[in-house]
Amino acid sequence: MTKEEVLVKMQEIFRETFNDTSLVITEDTNAEDIDEWDSFNHINLVASIEKAFDIKFALGELQTLENVGDMITLMITSKL
Amino acid sequence: MLFSTFVFILGFLPVVFLGYFILNKKKLLIASKVWLIFSSLFFYSWWNIAYLPLILASVLFNFILTNSMLHVKASSVMNKKVLLLIGIIFNVGLLVYFKYMDFFISNVNALTDSEIALLHLALPLGISFYTLQQIAFIVDSYEGLVKKKNFLDYTLFVVFFPQLIAGPIVHYKEVMPQFESIKNKIFNYNNIALGMFIFSIGLFKKIVIADTFSIWVHQGFDVAYTLSFFDAWIASLSYTFQLYFDFSGYSDMAIGIALLFNIALPQNFNSPLKATGMIDYWKRWHITLTQFITAYIYTPIVRSFVPLTFHKAMFATLLVFLISGMWHGAGWTFIFWGFLHGISVVINHYWQKKVKIKMPQYLAWFITFQFLNFGNVFFRATDFDRAISILQSMVDYHHILVSDYLIRRMRYWGYSVEKLDGYSAAHSFVDVDAVLMIVLGFIIALGFKNSTQLQQAFSTMKRVSIRWYLWSILLMSLSFMVMSFQTTTEFLYFNF
Repeated sequence: MTKEEVLVKMQEIFRETFNDTSLVITEDTNAEDIDEWDSFNHINLVASIEKAFDIKFALGELQTLENVGDMITLMITSKL
Repeated sequence: MLFSTFVFILGFLPVVFLGYFILNKKKLLIASKVWLIFSSLFFYSWWNIAYLPLILASVLFNFILTNSMLHVKASSVMNKKVLLLIGIIFNVGLLVYFKYMDFFISNVNALTDSEIALLHLALPLGISFYTLQQIAFIVDSYEGLVKKKNFLDYTLFVVFFPQLIAGPIVHYKEVMPQFESIKNKIFNYNNIALGMFIFSIGLFKKIVIADTFSIWVHQGFDVAYTLSFFDAWIASLSYTFQLYFDFSGYSDMAIGIALLFNIALPQNFNSPLKATGMIDYWKRWHITLTQFITAYIYTPIVRSFVPLTFHKAMFATLLVFLISGMWHGAGWTFIFWGFLHGISVVINHYWQKKVKIKMPQYLAWFITFQFLNFGNVFFRATDFDRAISILQSMVDYHHILVSDYLIRRMRYWGYSVEKLDGYSAAHSFVDVDAVLMIVLGFIIALGFKNSTQLQQAFSTMKRVSIRWYLWSILLMSLSFMVMSFQTTTEFLYFNF
């Protein structure tokens, strides 16, 4: 998958997780940009991404994922 | 050896620093690591050499265990999962044995009326921290995040003296690449200037601020029998400030010292007393602990709850805070403190998700601060009776005027005030100094940029202006002055 394809799929997951159909994400989007992006929703987000892409993040990777770009890079380099 | 002593600042640190860079300059890269390891172990043994075998055994065991993880076959009995389990049981077991045995025994004694003798084990220094750091390493190894390592690197990762005793809790992948990088092996004047600056902030926080507050904390929590309204408030606020300035001062010093060696440790505090909610607070207070707990305890718990609902997540949150309370100390007051924080974070989540009323910022801050201060009474008090007595005094406005100092003031201002019957003001310790320090505490904790923000400003400068050097010199000399006529006390988090 390319970065763009992943981003499109991620956008859907974000909209679903944060209950916001107009949410637009970029690679720079981070927890500061989305009010509801707290620890609870972070786990939800990760769980949805893992399910949608059929991957599994390591526990030690989760805290380094500070923005959408980090997530995509990690997914492409080591998971997809 | 404490960071805030002359023997450390003027003796140990310069020697270790020079030795490290001289060895590196001579291209003796292995020797420079060995030097740093031995220096760290010397630093650790300065307190009590009796703790040394335990930490060495722990390092050796965890290294062998994680190394075998790389080589085991999935089909063998001792597969990765079994090794992971053994590793966690070993590390948690050691911590439980040294930290919680007497707590368990005394509870069993109380419940069953038995008289099992207590072990009276001294808590090995830093065990709460190096245990967490190594558990994270084991889990990372299990999940394949650690690709290569050797014994020397692993030992350095655990015992590197700036962060050995009380964090910041670091990850292998955070620090080891920094030790490997060639450009980090040479003198970096910018890092030295920045490191000294951050260190001097930390030293000032510890020596000048936290240790001053400790006087009233000690009076209020350990000495005075009954407290007046003002005494109780001064004591509790003093502790809230002491705890913050002590621990964040320690962290600043750790970060500053590591920078001298060109190692960037992670941020541990982000002005927690400015928090406007309890979720916000835990993103700002002891950040590396929150991250550890979130990643390695909270996440596995909620992952096991399928499908995850809001209420299940809140249950996990509360559970995790109880564990956190327990980690801070073996006592019911700590567990209750964890419970209070857990409940408050749950309420905060519930408020955000269901109530959705935005509070004015200052009100949100006020409630958060009051709650923290309230919870800290349990965190500091030796037992529940003590905590409750202090809290009672804090709301006992009938006895507001019991303080001798205030009575004198009121009389001075022309009010006729009598002492209330039955209350002795003999122990009142409220004076102008205490009130001024509390005001100063608020100003510094709320009105100033924190060390990380200053660090960022520092890093973006092309040339470090003379102003920053002057600040370092000023803060350091003030601290040295206080240090020369006062014995330094241990850092609060060394006991946790």
